Amino acid sequence: MNETLRSERLFDAFAVLADTLVAGYDVIDLLNTLVETCHELLDVDSAGILLLTAHDGLEVVASTSEANSVVEFMQLDADAGPCLECFRTRSVVSLPDVDVDDNRWPEFAATARAEGIHSVYAIPLRLRDTTIGTLNLMRNERGELNHHDIKAAQALADVATIGILQERSARDGSAVRDQLQRALSSRIIIEQAKGVVSETSSVSMDIAFQRIRHYARAHQSTLGFVAQQLVRGDLRL
Amino acid sequence: MQADPFQIASDALAGAGGHVSELARPFLHFLPVSGASVSTFGPLLGAETISATDRLAGRVDELQFDLGEGPCWDALGSRLPVLQPDLTASSPSTWPAFTSAIRAENIGAVFAFPLVFGPLDIGAVDLYSIDPVTLTQEQQQQTLELSAIVSRILLRHALKDHALDNAEGSAEPTVFSRRLIHQATGMVLAQLGISAGDAHLILQARSFADGRPMRDVAQDVVERRIRFTDIDADSDSDIPTATDRRTDNRTDGEDSP
Repeated sequence: MNETLRSERLFDAFAVLADTLVAGYDVIDLLNTLVETCHELLDVDSAGILLLTAHDGLEVVASTSEANSVVEFMQLDADAGPCLECFRTRSVVSLPDVDVDDNRWPEFAATARAEGIHSVYAIPLRLRDTTIGTLNLMRNERGELNHHDIKAAQALADVATIGILQERSARDGSAVRDQLQRALSSRIIIEQAKGVVSETSSVSMDIAFQRIRHYARAHQSTLGFVAQQLVRGDLRL
Repeated sequence: MQADPFQIASDALAGAGGHVSELARPFLHFLPVSGASVSTFGPLLGAETISATDRLAGRVDELQFDLGEGPCWDALGSRLPVLQPDLTASSPSTWPAFTSAIRAENIGAVFAFPLVFGPLDIGAVDLYSIDPVTLTQEQQQQTLELSAIVSRILLRHALKDHALDNAEGSAEPTVFSRRLIHQATGMVLAQLGISAGDAHLILQARSFADGRPMRDVAQDVVERRIRFTDIDADSDSDIPTATDRRTDNRTDGEDSP
């Protein structure tokens, strides 16, 4: 993709993100838009989000691939890895080659390799003193992310962070916690819906999720709502 | 509007809550029988009379367990109702020992309905009547509906007692395993056409039966090594029964990968 075209697409992406913020939004959908934009416009193979939840733990709330989710979940379970490091230090963690220095996070390195992921770039979702999660870009190739992509990713991450924090200050803190909690419950239904589509269409979880996303987008619906219909048997994809 | 006896029975079941010892009585609300019993047996849950409305109802169960034959075995084996409306007129050749024992108790009719949950075999409902009596199609259908509710209650009860590692309640639930279980739940609910709650229960039961952690079962489901298929013979109007059918398979249709 040439630079001009990419800049245009980036502007579009910001416009979409801004629209979501103005129109009132679903956190999960906002974050899904963010990871999808990263996946489409940046030189990365997948993008995912770890977000701080009501219980002060991180959760995987959006991801463009199963491999990306697996690597993030694995870090949560092991309580170690570059994405957690990014959250804790509140700064970017760049890992251009997971095999170099793999004694630091051996479990992470093994899982990433098994999933075909060879480099990771984690950006904190942070505004001044508040860090609410991380945006995790993963690539199947080794090497640093190019500086254009770094700038774009940082900007996208900032917009999403501001959106979530703005919502938090507009309402009281518990309202946002409730919203995140709801987002996580809808996450459960989305996983179940992936299982439903995977079973009925004999496709992988990745493809199943893509189909659910496309359907939601085409019908201007939220992922959570579409997932609920699938789980209830009111909709078949 | 007149209170529907069947509705009263379903409400009574719903109200039984955790008291599984009360599960048999609701059947007497709408069926022309003298007594009822609910028992578990088969590969999943141990052989046990869970609830009986009277001594004779308990005796009907006990005899079948002791003799290893009788309508409850056939009902679960075939997953179909077994009807013997008149024991004074005909002798089922299938259970000679049970028939002579039951005649000694002056019982005129016995019926057994299977307790199944998706692919799982739970047990049976035994009904008896002192006088010969026939169950209408509607009564059979209603008994099947109540039996489904009883199955779910029994399964929940058994799994609650057994604090097997079930990821959501275990000492070390991992987010990764939770996600796998959600995905597997979705696959199972699509396989069996049931609710997410019931699909989750099926996974729990499978983990319980296999003595394996739930996440391992979920992984097998997601990777298509375990499949649950509905072998339930469901039908709205015509209720097939296992009466007079030779059923040799006492070991039932527990699914296996």
